[in-house]
Amino acid sequence: MKTTHIPFIKYQALFVGVSFLLFFIAIYIMATKGLNYGIDFKGGAKLTYKFADPTHEGQVRKALEGTEFVDASVVRFGEPAENRMSIKVALPEEHAKIGEQITAALEKSFGAGKILLEQEESVGPRVGKEMRKKAWLAIIFSWAMMLIYIGYRFDFLYGPGAVLSLVHDTTITMGIFALLGKEVNLTILAAILTLIGYSINDTIVVFDRIRENRSRINLDTIKDVVNESINSTLSRTIITSLTVFFVVVVLFFKGGGTLHDFAFTMIIGVIIGTYSSIFVASPCYIVLYKYWPSVKKLWSKR
Amino acid sequence: MPTAWKWKGALLLVLTIVSVYLILPSLLDVAARREAAQGSRTPLPWYFSVLPEKGINLGLDLRGGIYTEFEVETDKAISNKVDMFSSDIERWLKNENIKVEGVRQDISTHTILISGLDSAGTEKAMEHISDFYSDALVKRPVPADSGAQLAFGMQDKYKSHLEDLIVKQALEKVRNRIDRYGVAEPTIQRLGSNRIAIELPGIKDPERAIGIIKQAGQLEFKIVDDSIPDAKLKEMVTEVRKNENLPEDYSLKTVARINELLKGKLPADDEVAFEIQYDPITHKQTGALPYLLHRKAEVTGEMLKNAQVNVHNNEPYVSLGFDSQGTTLFGETTTKNTGKRMAILLDGTVTKAPVIREPIMGGQAQITLGYGRYADQLKEAEDLSLVLQEGALPAQLTEATKSVVGPSLGADSIHQGVVATIIGALVVCLFMLIYYKWSGFIANAAVLLNLLFILSALALFQATLTLPGIAGMALTLGMAVDANVLIYERIREELKHGKTAKAAIDAGYGNAMRTIIDSNVTTLIAGVVLYQFGTGPIRGFAVTLIVGLTVSMYTACICTRMVYDYLIIKRRITKVSV
Repeated sequence: MKTTHIPFIKYQALFVGVSFLLFFIAIYIMATKGLNYGIDFKGGAKLTYKFADPTHEGQVRKALEGTEFVDASVVRFGEPAENRMSIKVALPEEHAKIGEQITAALEKSFGAGKILLEQEESVGPRVGKEMRKKAWLAIIFSWAMMLIYIGYRFDFLYGPGAVLSLVHDTTITMGIFALLGKEVNLTILAAILTLIGYSINDTIVVFDRIRENRSRINLDTIKDVVNESINSTLSRTIITSLTVFFVVVVLFFKGGGTLHDFAFTMIIGVIIGTYSSIFVASPCYIVLYKYWPSVKKLWSKR
Repeated sequence: MPTAWKWKGALLLVLTIVSVYLILPSLLDVAARREAAQGSRTPLPWYFSVLPEKGINLGLDLRGGIYTEFEVETDKAISNKVDMFSSDIERWLKNENIKVEGVRQDISTHTILISGLDSAGTEKAMEHISDFYSDALVKRPVPADSGAQLAFGMQDKYKSHLEDLIVKQALEKVRNRIDRYGVAEPTIQRLGSNRIAIELPGIKDPERAIGIIKQAGQLEFKIVDDSIPDAKLKEMVTEVRKNENLPEDYSLKTVARINELLKGKLPADDEVAFEIQYDPITHKQTGALPYLLHRKAEVTGEMLKNAQVNVHNNEPYVSLGFDSQGTTLFGETTTKNTGKRMAILLDGTVTKAPVIREPIMGGQAQITLGYGRYADQLKEAEDLSLVLQEGALPAQLTEATKSVVGPSLGADSIHQGVVATIIGALVVCLFMLIYYKWSGFIANAAVLLNLLFILSALALFQATLTLPGIAGMALTLGMAVDANVLIYERIREELKHGKTAKAAIDAGYGNAMRTIIDSNVTTLIAGVVLYQFGTGPIRGFAVTLIVGLTVSMYTACICTRMVYDYLIIKRRITKVSV
């Protein structure tokens, strides 16, 4: 790849504006539509059945009519050819025999021996709530750790930009989950935490180059130096993201039911993460570099 | 330089050989073959004794099994302990001829209330309690409407010590029950302050196993109080149910609520318990008979010596034998209460309440089971005798989370996961080869080495490989080549500036190293947070991510560098294919 000369920074206001807009749309969707928490974070039971004959969601829902599980959500698990369905129900107080009851109802419609309960998970409501809290704490904690690490390895002018772009990536990814109504469960949390660790890498590559060029940076040249740094590292930013992108795309199509959503999260995250390291983290550094001295002056005057 | 190069090469060679040795059992499926050979008593090939015993440990999501977390309900156990204190204190007061009306517990606050004392008695009681129970009990203000003279609560420190002990004992009991039930390689561990996590791989009848673990196994013999006629009691219960809109069930929670609501209407120190009735033909539950019982148990399951299954008239039952203390107590009680009824309670529910016709001195009793098919009853009797022999749990267990995976889903998951990982790795390798030519080839060799080392590290530390873990491996491969990308891009840049091959490689590795370390450390931080947070499958992911990235610093940076050193020093190349 040849070294490019794209004027990223010239249009930074535009991109930062777009990012802000996306960020707030994501928050708005999460606030109004809410996240579709899986049982890990909400409590409830999830049963995965394998059917001997091809079937669809409607048939399964129909089989559950007349039981206390009418409100159950039924979704296909994995490829249509696998004939697997997941049934998700809220957990009543006494939940020991949910599996048996649903299996009985399904056997009545599909015939005994035609279905197989392959996986059953249940999480008490109290535990679910606790996990949700812990999940948010884990996300916030890893943001904080990144801030500290980048602040320690570079200097504190770099940290906020890197973490802001992480917050940006995480929020938009979760906003997309809320928009699509996709289930947020422990596996998705794993993907998001991985993203937090991974999407900062592109930012590090760019920042590293800016730091290498720091002797040439002053208030007049900062925009040019940052722009040049982005351009000269652009090929590695893209290629490193591409290698991981290849893997997650394969996982998305070939990895099976559980890994499908994991890969989906990573795909979105890798794209947004690459974008944000150029269009969020770098402008943020420029702003901090420019205005920090005057902020400091204001502070010392008081 | 050349000598260091030799040492590095030797290290790599040793690591590779050790790694292959470590993953051989997994590749050859040694565990299954060993088991099969033991089953058929055929001798094993010679190399089985040389190979490591265990290969890579597969997680539950890959080989099927149950994972559950139980919460230990310490509250009830605490109130049992307070009961014990109450009766001890009452006995002492009576021995000292101190006038006392009663020593009872306020269940909701675990407070001991002593009533009917005169002022001299109050003083003596206080002195006794502060002498003998100073580390356990502390004086509390007496509730206004209780009519008691003294109130004592449990010391916080003592209570937390007790709770800890209860969880430890519960863990021990659960472990014994599972051992007796017979599960290969169970994992039972404590989580946090009051949770127990249990992993039972490859189990066939998960509900039954959970039933055995969960059953409290609390056996109690209590005397029926006839001061309120049965019909009247039934009326009272029905009325309370209707007034308070309680659900028509007999769960421990509902029964506790009924008792709370009837407080004041029943004699103090009494409680209501139910015997569930079945229709003899359909085996369906038809209702329940309430009994008024003295709350204190006369004899408990702790005094059991043995419990075994017997069959009489095609009906299985569990016969019980008491130890010497139990035999004596049982004899005393049945002598004292001849003509009354004695209720046999299992986990708070009355199984039967026969009339004591004559004193029973032999220390033998039996429990009949509910109605059901013969085979079910027999299974139930077997499970019950197992539970009773191992002894009661010190506290009730409630399921916090449960996850059961059938082996067929696991097999499909492995297949899909492995196929996806291989395809993913191939795509990445192909890309590297096309984009970086020979250097891409070197990076690919490093990736393969990385995969080998991850697998062997998992086998060595007996870490668990889960389905997300397989995804983690695929992902790590994609991330591991990032290091090479950073190095090669830098080399290209240096070459463009007109540096020689050797100088470009030196500068490439030198300058990219900083970035590689930083970017790997940030991902590692996320991995560690994930490990701390996650359980089961997610932990498996975190483990492969952490191991993979750590290993990649060696394979992608040091190992590839060795190849270039070799090419430059030994082969004296002047051009880099990058």
